Amino acid sequence: MSKPVLIVGGGPAGLAAAHALTQAGERVVLLEKTSGLGGAPIISGYAKLVPSGEWARDAIGGMVRRVREEQLATVHLGTTVKAFAGTPGNFTAELSNGAAVEAGAAILCTGFTHFDSLNKPEWGFGTFPDVVTTAQVEQMISSGKGVYCPSNGRKPQRVAILLCVGSRDRQIGRPWCSKICCTVSANIAMEIREQLPECHVYIYYMDIRTFGLYETKYYWRSQEEFKIKYIKARIAEVTSDGEKLIVKGEDTLVKRPISIPFDLVVHAIGMDPNVDNKLIAETFGVALEPHGYLERGNSYGNTAETSRAGVFVAGAATGPESIDDSIAQGYAAAMRALALARPVRVSA
Amino acid sequence: MTLEHTTRVQEHIGDPVSAGAPVERAKLEQIFQDIQSDLRFDHMLNGCLNCGICTATCPSAQYYDYSPREIVQLLWTENLEGIYDAMQEKIWACAQCYTCAARCPFGNSPGGLVMLMREAAIKHGMESAKNVLRPFSRVMLKLISTGNQLSPDMISKDAFPDWGPNISKVSAPLETLRKAIPVPTLHTTKTAWEVNLKTSVELYTIWEETGVINSLKAIDPNLFDVIRDIMDDKRDELSEWQEEQAQD
Repeated sequence: MSKPVLIVGGGPAGLAAAHALTQAGERVVLLEKTSGLGGAPIISGYAKLVPSGEWARDAIGGMVRRVREEQLATVHLGTTVKAFAGTPGNFTAELSNGAAVEAGAAILCTGFTHFDSLNKPEWGFGTFPDVVTTAQVEQMISSGKGVYCPSNGRKPQRVAILLCVGSRDRQIGRPWCSKICCTVSANIAMEIREQLPECHVYIYYMDIRTFGLYETKYYWRSQEEFKIKYIKARIAEVTSDGEKLIVKGEDTLVKRPISIPFDLVVHAIGMDPNVDNKLIAETFGVALEPHGYLERGNSYGNTAETSRAGVFVAGAATGPESIDDSIAQGYAAAMRALALARPVRVSA
Repeated sequence: MTLEHTTRVQEHIGDPVSAGAPVERAKLEQIFQDIQSDLRFDHMLNGCLNCGICTATCPSAQYYDYSPREIVQLLWTENLEGIYDAMQEKIWACAQCYTCAARCPFGNSPGGLVMLMREAAIKHGMESAKNVLRPFSRVMLKLISTGNQLSPDMISKDAFPDWGPNISKVSAPLETLRKAIPVPTLHTTKTAWEVNLKTSVELYTIWEETGVINSLKAIDPNLFDVIRDIMDDKRDELSEWQEEQAQD
């Protein structure tokens, strides 16, 4: 019997890889550094997911349950890898809980870290309680409390969503597009309007990147059905007059600087490389690409490769990624690990 | 334009056939070339998405018909007429605070681009540059000849009529007033501090070598003449002194 596959990270990609391999009869050891499986959608309390609209706790929760009930999967929570050595088919990993794991292959599904809005102090996060992040709004919705202003619990009448917070910003060394925030923001905007039909929701953007088919379901639908107002302007500062938040921007259509009052300002935060990526790269002997994500070994012809043979990668560890694509990549990486575990080729 | 029957549209945009461009294309191209060939240009302009964060944060845009985003767009799209037009008035509204540069997600510097346009406006002797710099001729005289921007003897009734009746208080003997100031004032009145003759001549040589004197000539020929006379005298004075030293 071949050695198990070591899967690092219990988010959508890791859960998908674990499911795929166990379905094929392989054993997996799934490590998760936090105290629970599910990754960002569960740990950060996402609400309804793009594109299906299913609740995260149902969609990703189902994936967690499936792996939890699987005999071939061994799960270690609150555990990281201390040391990793060996060759394809013959790796050993020393875990932070003292255990040692023999593995035929490893799949890194180490994901991303939400951008910390404190790094853009001019946009008021951390200064004004009613400046929140998209992750916080997701939590408001998924907790059942609904959208409110944290300062006094009132329902907002005017909400501004600022796009590209921690994305496409050379000032703070984050030139990449986080890919999903435009779509997620349109989704959140529609959820706010659904909950609070009297509330006006504005999205401040420099480009809208509701890529692919999301253009219809999120960009146009949010405007046509939900009357979300898109304003092409990047906000300079968020201040307060003591009562309301004051958002300072330029109306680029009429070419004048404007100050607009809001009850709630939402930062559409981007995806940073996992804060542990340098440690992960060092431990597993894999390369990082210039932005700090794990480097892909191959773009075409093969998939899920890192710079080290037998160590595969899936999901947002390699760059901003959507949940459904992360899951697909988890299955793809599982296929690479499976091929390594069963190298017998039947010749014709 | 001498058409007898002009329409309202023609009044606004001119006759496309008979009315030539107000400025020759070659001149517009030369001005843009001067701005674009500056080695700072490529560091200050990396691209622009029209997000408007620069204009939103700009203090001058709050009060004037001035938008850093518009300046960046004109240069990015190489709108030569628009660039020339902006150099007539708009670029002089910038306070050079560089908040725009601190905010731009592309790392552009609209304020820096304005500086390049101002330098080009001076180089080409544009009226707007002359008008803006005219009130500063006393400062330029002092600065170019001594390296000091302001000195006590520049505070006079004529120079500051808007100071009201209080200005008479500084009409008293300056040297006496300077001595009355508790902190050390070096007892100078023509400069803010003692300026060595050699330093003054060396400074003027720097102005010459870096092209500042040529700019001055383009902008204010009279001031140029005055300063040149002063500096010729200083140079003579210095070389005489140096000869004396050599003889001793």
